[in-house]
Amino acid sequence: MNKDESRPMSADIWVFSEKPALLDELLAGARVLADHIKGAVAAVVSGPVEKTEEAFERGAEKVFWLGEIKPGFMVEDCVPTLAHLAAKEKPYGILIGSTRRGRAVAGRLAARLNLSVITDVIAFMFENGDLQARHMIFGGGAVRVERPVSEMILATVGPGIFNPLPLTPGRKGELQIPDFIEPEWRLTLCERKIKPAPAVNLPAAKKVVCAGRGVAKQEDLALMEELARILGAEVGCTRPLAEGLGWLPRERYIGISGANIKPDLYLGIGVSGQVQHTIGMSEARVVVAINKDGEAPIFDQADYGIVGDLYTIVPALIKALKARK
Amino acid sequence: MNIVVCCKLAPDAADIQVSSDGSISLERAEWIIGGFDLQAIEAGARLAEASGGKLIALSAGPHQINNSKLKKDLLSRGPDELVLVIDDVLVNADTAMTAAVLAQAIRKIGGVDLVLCGEGSTDLYFQQTGLQVGERLGLPTLNAVSKIESRDGKLVVERSLEDEVEILEVPLPAVLSVTTDINQPGLPTLKEILKAGKKPVTEWTLVNLGLDLSFQNQVEVIRTTAPHHAQRKKIMISGAADEAVYALVVYLNKEGLI
Repeated sequence: MNKDESRPMSADIWVFSEKPALLDELLAGARVLADHIKGAVAAVVSGPVEKTEEAFERGAEKVFWLGEIKPGFMVEDCVPTLAHLAAKEKPYGILIGSTRRGRAVAGRLAARLNLSVITDVIAFMFENGDLQARHMIFGGGAVRVERPVSEMILATVGPGIFNPLPLTPGRKGELQIPDFIEPEWRLTLCERKIKPAPAVNLPAAKKVVCAGRGVAKQEDLALMEELARILGAEVGCTRPLAEGLGWLPRERYIGISGANIKPDLYLGIGVSGQVQHTIGMSEARVVVAINKDGEAPIFDQADYGIVGDLYTIVPALIKALKARK
Repeated sequence: MNIVVCCKLAPDAADIQVSSDGSISLERAEWIIGGFDLQAIEAGARLAEASGGKLIALSAGPHQINNSKLKKDLLSRGPDELVLVIDDVLVNADTAMTAAVLAQAIRKIGGVDLVLCGEGSTDLYFQQTGLQVGERLGLPTLNAVSKIESRDGKLVVERSLEDEVEILEVPLPAVLSVTTDINQPGLPTLKEILKAGKKPVTEWTLVNLGLDLSFQNQVEVIRTTAPHHAQRKKIMISGAADEAVYALVVYLNKEGLI
């Protein structure tokens, strides 16, 4: 990155997210880091000025307000301004909310500053005074601990890692309004459509019946749906059923690039248990697996397992559950 | 339209071996083309075919990527050529090093109108490469692209974010990272597999790219271990279907789930 030797690196932690709820969480995470290195917490905010007030009330000591997003502009158009600001102020680290937009901002910022990014951090630790970060790799099959050795640290953090600090109404701090730097290129936004709210919110479901590749035909999903109805569960699936076969909508797919669920009950039917899937369900309270292959890895992660043909077991289970009512 | 598609060749995570101390090994893992890259290859093949351009596959990594089966697999999926940047220093490359190497290779290839990347790599899934390559090349760059149409020398793309969809006009050259639902790549045909062996493969080192070998990772890997999983009861219920199901219902009742 561009070194301005006249200005030493600060111990400040900056946060950026276009999502207000995620920004609140990042402010809480930044507070822990900043306290450790005796720095301040600063939020970089773009959009309505009210967002700067919220940032102060959620723990920011400093806010860099990049201004309103002008019509036809995108959040990402702030990258040149943010890069210039970071090179000048030299924060210790910048935490960016891990949404698709946030990842775009992080990546482009990193390239401009010749830095790397540690993505989707699940925990920060200090070891002998050095900051370390933990995140998942191999589709959730491994946890990697990394130590950034660069001058400035860039990391993305997803929702649910930090709990927001309580709101302190009326709390104020130092507001700075840097000059907006026009980006070298901008894309023409032809249209913006708000996605319809998904028909299902799997992460909120208390019980999930998950269909895997062991289900032979799309029509057979009716069996899983009937079981789900009796249990009061939602139907989820593994990636091939949503992408590739297209039997179920993408929002029902559980796994690394899909939904991450924490239900009380996960019932996997014909699910083999590849790590790319199990990363999305490993925090279920009770895991039940039904699979005809007794060697399937899902059984290692199940509380209750039945080795058998789902076409025999599931109808029997439906019958047994019905009989109880 | 000349297109470069960046692919990550990596050990198959399904072959991870966990030892009793929790450390993991990929020594015995088979190396594969990243599953999230197949859609990028397919998108590139379709665009190159429609425009009469060339599709070049590009990958960078340690010596394991120089594997004839992998090279053939890649070339049977549509690319006309393959460029490999091989150096063992890339084994634990951070996002900055990866992007710097790929960007330099794309400059050296020259005359590239479009660079495509997958959503993320199969092993690390950091979802950074396309964005950082694009920014390093000073080109318009976007992630989460779920549809690409070529129109009057520009691209009109659909970008799927968490709760909104953007339709954007992208001037060329550009660098795009595509989602996994942009298309459904099929299996290579026998004809494509036979043709793959005859397609040109170029192998470069970092020296060929004029890159300073002393450049260092900015992120040091301290350790990689198996994740701590919740302790599961692992109760295997045996017996005929009716008996097994009855036992399961009793367990579910005891767990307070029914």
